[in-house]
Amino acid sequence: MPQSSVKMQVRKASDQTIIVDIQGEITSAAENLLMDAYTQATTVGARNILLNFNDLEYMNSSGIGLLVTLLIRANRQQQRLVAYGLSEHYRQIFTLTRLNDAIAIYSNEQEALASLN
Amino acid sequence: MTENEQAVRTFSLPSVAGNERLAAKKIEELLRPLGLSLRLLERIKTAVAETAMNAIEHGNRYHEDLPVTIETEITPGSLYIRIADYGGQKDTPMAEEPDIDAKLAGIQSPRGWGLFLIHRMADDVRFTTDKERHTVELTFFLVREGDSDFSI
Repeated sequence: MPQSSVKMQVRKASDQTIIVDIQGEITSAAENLLMDAYTQATTVGARNILLNFNDLEYMNSSGIGLLVTLLIRANRQQQRLVAYGLSEHYRQIFTLTRLNDAIAIYSNEQEALASLN
Repeated sequence: MTENEQAVRTFSLPSVAGNERLAAKKIEELLRPLGLSLRLLERIKTAVAETAMNAIEHGNRYHEDLPVTIETEITPGSLYIRIADYGGQKDTPMAEEPDIDAKLAGIQSPRGWGLFLIHRMADDVRFTTDKERHTVELTFFLVREGDSDFSI
């Protein structure tokens, strides 16, 4: 398996909302970090998980598969997944794959947080 | 290179995990003089990376000594990219069309988006095999900066 070229930071936006800042590449190599970030968010009782893609450099088909896995876990826990900061290209990929049916997409953090109210 | 010139260029990469990014980067460098729209360039890079990843993983099974060969042919209206590996003994598998609802319901695996992306990013995709090599030909209709891109 290739070395992970991604960093993730989990930060609290409110009692029920956690933001995961993603920096780098979402590929199969990101699996452990992404699932660890999700576990951290769930452990503190997050109902809303925001994925910040502002610093996403690359995402491939394996990365899309990881997001689907994350979505399955979040659905089981009745958590809401939201994404923001995607480039036009990756927004288009979310549309083609219909990931955007299940993960609401916003332009920026402010809009994403406002959508939760 | 001018619009009327036709050029064929070939390079190869060892079958090492992660080299699909290198393939996409080299293609981007090769195409830079054409002034393609960013949208088209992103589609090309994604299709090349996914196809190269399949070649490395499924065609050459990560055997570093087996190269993945990438040939680009630029014509006035189209770009052809042929990505070849040494998996020619096998038939091209028929991939199940991924469906997000089926995946979320656990009916399909969460994975399996590669061929789907390749088909959606390229304007045409063709597969050929012989006894030795398996080749995927990606076709893109050329759109330059400032042109409209209605292909997807």
